[in-house]
Amino acid sequence: MQPRRQLLLAPGPGGPRPTAPMFALLLLLALQGAAAAPAGFAGSAGSEDSGWRQDPELQSGLLQQAARAALHFFNFRAGSPSALRVVSAVQQGRAWVNSKNERKVDLVFTTERYNPEEGEERLGKCSARVFFRNEKPRPAINITCTRFVEKSKRQQEDYLLYKHMKQLKTPLDVVSIPDSHGHIDPSLRPIWELAFLGGSYVMWEKTTQFSHYYLAQLSSLKQWKTNDNAIDFDYTVLLHEFPTQEIIPCRIHLVWYPGKPLKVKYHCHGLQTPEEASGIEEGSAVAPTELSNF
Amino acid sequence: MKWILFFGALIGPSICGREKFFGDQVFRINVRNGDEISKLNQLVNSDNLKLNVWKCPSTFGLPVDVLVPSVSLQPVKCFLESQGLEYSVTIEDLQIYHEMHSIASDFPDLASRVKIGHSFENRSIYVLKFSTGKGRQRPAIWLNAGLHSREWVSQATAIWTARKIVSDYGKDSAITSILEKMDIFLLPVANPDGYVYTHTHNRFWRKTRSLNPGSSCIGVDPNRNWNASFAGEGASSNPCSEVYHGLHAHSEVEVKSVVDFIQEHGNFKCFIDLHSYSQLLMYPYGYTQKKAPDATELDKVAKHAAKVLASLSGTKYQVGSTSTTVYQASGSSIDWAYNNGIKYAFTFELRDTGQYGFLLPADQIIPTAEETWLGLKTIMEHVRDHLY
Repeated sequence: MQPRRQLLLAPGPGGPRPTAPMFALLLLLALQGAAAAPAGFAGSAGSEDSGWRQDPELQSGLLQQAARAALHFFNFRAGSPSALRVVSAVQQGRAWVNSKNERKVDLVFTTERYNPEEGEERLGKCSARVFFRNEKPRPAINITCTRFVEKSKRQQEDYLLYKHMKQLKTPLDVVSIPDSHGHIDPSLRPIWELAFLGGSYVMWEKTTQFSHYYLAQLSSLKQWKTNDNAIDFDYTVLLHEFPTQEIIPCRIHLVWYPGKPLKVKYHCHGLQTPEEASGIEEGSAVAPTELSNF
Repeated sequence: MKWILFFGALIGPSICGREKFFGDQVFRINVRNGDEISKLNQLVNSDNLKLNVWKCPSTFGLPVDVLVPSVSLQPVKCFLESQGLEYSVTIEDLQIYHEMHSIASDFPDLASRVKIGHSFENRSIYVLKFSTGKGRQRPAIWLNAGLHSREWVSQATAIWTARKIVSDYGKDSAITSILEKMDIFLLPVANPDGYVYTHTHNRFWRKTRSLNPGSSCIGVDPNRNWNASFAGEGASSNPCSEVYHGLHAHSEVEVKSVVDFIQEHGNFKCFIDLHSYSQLLMYPYGYTQKKAPDATELDKVAKHAAKVLASLSGTKYQVGSTSTTVYQASGSSIDWAYNNGIKYAFTFELRDTGQYGFLLPADQIIPTAEETWLGLKTIMEHVRDHLY
């Protein structure tokens, strides 16, 4: 397995300084009207009004925060478990802050496939605008990314994944993916990717300017059925939260069909649960209290 | 009877629980009558399980200790449960402690295993001391690992490093010259209670396992418990929190053991703490954003180490002070070390950057240890050349 590339940032107290070639590329992309230029991005000069002033304390942490959030949102929106992306490196970014201490971040970053094929090293590129609402979660995101995988190939891989899931016998005798030693059985990989897709929605909604999440483990699988041909998936994941270091169980219920928008409902446990209650939730059904797009 | 064992191995995962155990374990089995003794004898005598009796099953009422290799854990557990035999797992992660013992006995002129204290649940805390010199209190390096028990690549990297040190001494010029001038102390499992707990109950346990009076929540974050802006920003006063700082600095016996040892020694020049994950190499401070007096030099050393580390497999680390790189954290080990005159204080957050997180696949352990070793050597060489 190849080591993931870490987020890279040019050092310096003022934050990264875009180089001339970078600007040229950006301009070129904007001029081409390619998918890389999100609405409003080219007009960043106009951000000086409406109470926004350039953030004097831009730290690399904020840009990484923004990249992660943007990509969670992108993965959810794309609805494609076989085309999940992770952040590779932030290349440039700027931030503005307003009187309510909300932050607006414009950034460009590279991505790589979450599940790369043998020897695959291709990088994708995204540009995004992220609005953090101080300590409130669910940042508003505008993001466009260059095409990573050919659309037809992606559809094909999603469909294969879908077929594979339909063939797996339920109830599946699975507890933890990955297991304690990081192992994921290849036949269970599609389950993990679908779980990650649903988890992306949850992680986007929970991210604030100061907290972020990683998916630590799929800790239980209640069931999946295929109603009307869609995959109906009810499971629990453990999220690892920064900076609190808490492990947060989230029960997720999703409905997925290749090519259709993903539907997700979820409920995460509150913090400060005594350790006996941590981990898998058993017993009474969980009533989803957080709205989704059902 | 054989078919029971065979059957147990097959259906074990679905009936007897699915935890995978890491390392051999010692089962303490209570035998109450002749029937149970004979069942136990049959178990012990079955070749394929490779069990090893430490205490003979001869009389009733006395427990029998049996060493069970990790591959046999599932069928043995299943068998005992299905036969109604009472047992408990005695708690030492034997694999790491055995390895430490064997390193010390294979290289007696270089390495020795030193007990520096015990944990809350009374497990021994062992350190490996690597020294080529007679003479008391040579300038020394402290390598700390396993403070947060769920960060398994940390303990694994540490024990690999121990082997590496003894194997390469006399062959690799860097480690040889480092050991000519300095001693190295390596603590692979700084939090043994937590480590065992991650194997037996909860893979994501982070803290110690000490009891908190008045709370049902257990444990203190051992990396918020050091006397460096103790209970300041970046730690919690809630015992249920993963970053609970404890009642007072060094309240945790695991932390106090290290503090006492280092202070008694009095000549440590370098303190490196291994954690995971995020791929970061950091220096003080965590408790404040203010620059440490030696920040410029530490930054240079860290950047150099990160570069050398990356040269092996391309693994990229970010470098900076703790508070500006990850978040504010008070009561951390390296801040304490630095404020106690140990200038070269660094934290490694090892692989990866979130894809597997704490559950780093086994096939990444050695690559992680190998690249980290290059980074460690870079730092230690700098210390060797800048003794103060």
